[in-house]
Amino acid sequence: MRKLGKALYLVFAFILLYLPIVYLAYFSFSSGQDMVHFQHFSWVHYQALWADKNLIAIFLQTILLAILSSLIATAIGTCGAWGIFRLRGVQRKTLLVFNNVLMVAPDVIIGASFLICFTALGIGLSFWSVLLSHIAFSIPIVVLMVLPRLHDLDLTLIDAAQDLGAGKGLIFNQIILPEIMPGILSGLFMALTYSLDDFAVTFFVTGNGFTTLSVEIYSRARQGINLEINALSTVMLLVVLLLAGGYLFLTRQHDISLGARS
Amino acid sequence: MNIIELRHVTRRYPDGFTALHDINLSLEPGKFYSLLGPSGSGKTTILRLIAGFDQPTAGEILFKGRDITNLPASRRPLNTVFQNYALFPHLNVFDNIAFGLKVKKVAPDEIKKKVERMLSLVRLEGFGKRSVQELSGGQQQRVAIARALVNHPKVLLLDESLSALDKKLRKTMQFELRSIQKQLGITFIFVTHDQEEALAMSDEIFVLNDGRLQQSGSPSAIYDEPVNEFVARFIGDSNLMSGHMIRDFEVEFGNHRFECADAGIKPGEQVQVLLRPEDLSLVEPAQGKIVVDILSQLFLGDHYEIWAKDDGGFNWLIHTVEKAPAERCGLHFAPDAIHVMRLGESESEFDQRLSQYEEHEK
Repeated sequence: MRKLGKALYLVFAFILLYLPIVYLAYFSFSSGQDMVHFQHFSWVHYQALWADKNLIAIFLQTILLAILSSLIATAIGTCGAWGIFRLRGVQRKTLLVFNNVLMVAPDVIIGASFLICFTALGIGLSFWSVLLSHIAFSIPIVVLMVLPRLHDLDLTLIDAAQDLGAGKGLIFNQIILPEIMPGILSGLFMALTYSLDDFAVTFFVTGNGFTTLSVEIYSRARQGINLEINALSTVMLLVVLLLAGGYLFLTRQHDISLGARS
Repeated sequence: MNIIELRHVTRRYPDGFTALHDINLSLEPGKFYSLLGPSGSGKTTILRLIAGFDQPTAGEILFKGRDITNLPASRRPLNTVFQNYALFPHLNVFDNIAFGLKVKKVAPDEIKKKVERMLSLVRLEGFGKRSVQELSGGQQQRVAIARALVNHPKVLLLDESLSALDKKLRKTMQFELRSIQKQLGITFIFVTHDQEEALAMSDEIFVLNDGRLQQSGSPSAIYDEPVNEFVARFIGDSNLMSGHMIRDFEVEFGNHRFECADAGIKPGEQVQVLLRPEDLSLVEPAQGKIVVDILSQLFLGDHYEIWAKDDGGFNWLIHTVEKAPAERCGLHFAPDAIHVMRLGESESEFDQRLSQYEEHEK
């Protein structure tokens, strides 16, 4: 009985969460111009989307930004996690607190502070300012994903590698990196979704020449709802689903190759 | 020439704890050594210093007379078998064993040949492609040994390497380790808290307690002539009593005087007296040196373990091959079954005293 209740609750929660998205996707196939009445099935909004070269360019820019920023953030975040891991006591705690503050700070504040920072330093608002800020807000999440893996790392493995003649670089590449890879992958995918998701920070630091999808959709939505946006959202939903599936596949492959670790 | 030598090695931690006090060791090539002691005695610390994972606060470590105190672990010509084996989980058996050779950039076909030879030495032919996590404890242990030995170390360090195995497997591995050591002629330094293991395998044992070297010597020397109460209690079962010397070759304990084999101690000095349970035998009350009442006897397969109480209230532990003949028996022992230990006498003082009165005898 309790099990059934739990299942019903979950189904209810998921319906509630997914209903707006399904509603939005549903109307992307309507031939009408509003989300009040579904006219009849049509690809017209997808055709309009395909014809909207400007929007597609922004879409590609957004993806490029996400990939670049997540890759760089993963590299920096992994090194950072290693650095924090090597520290002891107060130093380590302090750095972790600073890291976590960035995680919980509201995006608006982070965005505003980046804006102030960039204008103070005289850095123009462009693709680069957006990239820099995306890298910056992605690093803490990578650190948080990699650190637990480092804690699980058996330190005698490092002794053993040293004992067998390996130098520092070799130990990091051949022993530590493979061991913490699942954490790095999680960090990478989290950073990717953070970057794709972000509206608030980008809104502050983007300039004339560059915009991302979320900012573009926001500015278009203010002029009235266009079902082309629905079509675009549906496409993005599919992309995200594919990414999530890919992530699951990759991490499971990794776990299988490591064997069952218990 | 000594292959490894520790000179006045001290290890003190920043919090003030001293793990090792002025340790001096000399190890000859080709022998099987054990570092024996309870947990926290500093035996693993010594191993880590020799391996190069840790640096001494004072003193030096020599390899073939060359100072290697500050040489990093990766450049020392010795290898370690870790307590938890520390096999690389993402590499298979072959790649685990080949790791050291790959680091040294040995040619691939040479690596293959050497690894195959090692696999057959540790009796794991055909296991190369297996994941190390599929292996049993004993197999993992043998991979760890092969991974260390494939590099042809001059010295192999083993850190409590058998303690994770069950009793039967441990016995087999003791035997195999010993035969591998004889076969290759490499110096083994084996860390253990198991006195039986150390006695069974070693050419020489170093007994440690509280970061101090208590005694070193062959298994039989340490068993027969422990220098102090700690060594006596730690190695084998024992009957320990306090007493005092009457004169050379005569000691008093439990209100009786006995002829003994020890000398060079001034009359009247307080001493510890040790009698090993297997040096005692039960006879007719009239023929015994002490009369005891049997409290309990257990048959342990190869011997009886008997507890008996003398008139002074001391409980004796006796190992015999035969059952006690009566409820009340005589306890018999030879003069040289009595080991007299001075309180706080160090190993070197002990050796000095021994050589003095042995010369005196001649």
